[in-house]
Amino acid sequence: MAETKLLSKHWDEADSYLLSGYERVGGYQQVKKALQMKPEDIVAEVTKSNLRGRGGAGFPTGLKWTFVRKEKATPKYLVINADEGEPGTFKDRYCLELDPHRFIEGCVIGAWALDCHAVYVYCRGEFQPGAITRLKGAIAEAKAKGYLGKSVFGSGYEVEMYVHRGAGAYICGEESALLESLEGKKGYPRIKPPFPANAGLFGKPTAVNNVETMSNIPTIIELGAEAYAKVGCDKNGGTRLFTVSGHVEKPGVYEAPMGTTFRELIYDLCGGIAGGRQLKAIIPGGSSSAVLSADQVDLKSDFDSLKAAKTMAGSGGVIVLDDTVDMAWALYNVTKFYAHESCGQCTPCREGTGWAARLLRKILDGNGAKSDIDLVYGIARQGEQRTICALFDGAAMPLKSYIEKFRGDFEKHVRN
Amino acid sequence: MADSPFTPEQEARFDAAFSEAVSSFPPERSMAALLPALHAAQAELGWLPNPALLYVASRLKLFPTRVREVASFYTLFHLEPVGKNHLQICTNLSCALRGGEDLVARACERLGVKPHQVTPDGKFSVEAVSCLASCGTAPVMQVNDRRYDEKLDPEKLLKLIAELGADGAR
Repeated sequence: MAETKLLSKHWDEADSYLLSGYERVGGYQQVKKALQMKPEDIVAEVTKSNLRGRGGAGFPTGLKWTFVRKEKATPKYLVINADEGEPGTFKDRYCLELDPHRFIEGCVIGAWALDCHAVYVYCRGEFQPGAITRLKGAIAEAKAKGYLGKSVFGSGYEVEMYVHRGAGAYICGEESALLESLEGKKGYPRIKPPFPANAGLFGKPTAVNNVETMSNIPTIIELGAEAYAKVGCDKNGGTRLFTVSGHVEKPGVYEAPMGTTFRELIYDLCGGIAGGRQLKAIIPGGSSSAVLSADQVDLKSDFDSLKAAKTMAGSGGVIVLDDTVDMAWALYNVTKFYAHESCGQCTPCREGTGWAARLLRKILDGNGAKSDIDLVYGIARQGEQRTICALFDGAAMPLKSYIEKFRGDFEKHVRN
Repeated sequence: MADSPFTPEQEARFDAAFSEAVSSFPPERSMAALLPALHAAQAELGWLPNPALLYVASRLKLFPTRVREVASFYTLFHLEPVGKNHLQICTNLSCALRGGEDLVARACERLGVKPHQVTPDGKFSVEAVSCLASCGTAPVMQVNDRRYDEKLDPEKLLKLIAELGADGAR
């Protein structure tokens, strides 16, 4: 199979990030169309398109927008999650660096559909030299043309877009922690309910959407919901920007229909396993997703298929591991990350992630016993679903699945 | 009002960034400008010494403890000095599979420091950091907030350190 390029079709042009480059390929035509539509009709169209949130949870975007529209309080806010930090994921950075105007167009359509006038883009702090600079430049260009500002495209409708720089905290990718951080606090996730749609930024109704999700909006208006939905698979509309890293010949960002199998991704698009070695494992959707074994390579990659396989499509960050990888080492690496990034608010996560990492270090150092492997597994079981946010669950999924599927890799390090 | 930690030129740049951040939020929500204000202060000083925290607190009418609480939560805010070239090397899985951890060790060895220590000439410090969203071009390193260096190997890293050291950047 080949790529299906809807979002990434002009990424390889040198001026793709400039307004002139975007307009040359038909940019900013869809927002003009959308401003002639009723806001509720846009939401209905997005619902029909089967667009699912590309940040990780796969929540239907149209449904989220319906919740926000139902709220009476004003002002309403559109907040964009550009805090891309899930290991293995790098698509939002590409969207912002190579095609920021498509994203801006999507945001203006979203603001009109949601009856809001302020869009805050919470961008991770590390993106300063690349994505933040490009996005700020693009916003300035759009503002100068009247595509953003007091009266977008002469419609009399105001949309202002602000870039807010994060400061290095994985937890701020969790939407309620992101809102706390945007309000000037440390990024502690909030207890839900209330959900952001009901009480989000400054306690007002807020849609929190991912960068790639918003970059899809102009395409949905252009193709129409039905045609867009057909590109993907059942209940998963459109394409996805898969980011493939690890042991493949050609790592990178690949745009392919929702539901593309891992075999197609790895062997057709990425040129197979690097150095002609053998596939051992696939991390399907960022490092917090449960690992797949090589015999699951024909699984479809959409949200529902992977949920049924007891893992998740997550952020679309696919990490491919070959047969040289010691899964005990890989799990230690992944767990250390979650221990570092736990915000410390909930005890099972604050203590459990660090404890599991220390046990895995002990096992790798040859000082572990078989019972330590079971203890690591037990820590994951006892903490999952018992914390305010999903960070611990994101640590528990690898902890459980690596041990379930590759127990031999752990046992070879321990004494009986 | 706490004393300003800035020179007049620095103060002018800080003020511009501060005003822009405050004006992007509703008037009664100026506290939301805390992260931008800390970024602006650090952009001038390279790190956030206590007088800078006190100054930001007084500009936003916040308790200093609140500002320290926030500044200490985020890894990009430095409460201790860092090198003029702060080498932030990713060691998460995709980079680790391609030698990220070895690069941290090589950088520390070459510069004679441990992670988070600054070289005596103030030019370098090294930190192993979390995913920089550049996994397809692993292993990757960010230098302060100036540049990404991708697809590194030990040879390229050591060459880069030599260049940056000769340059005396910033």
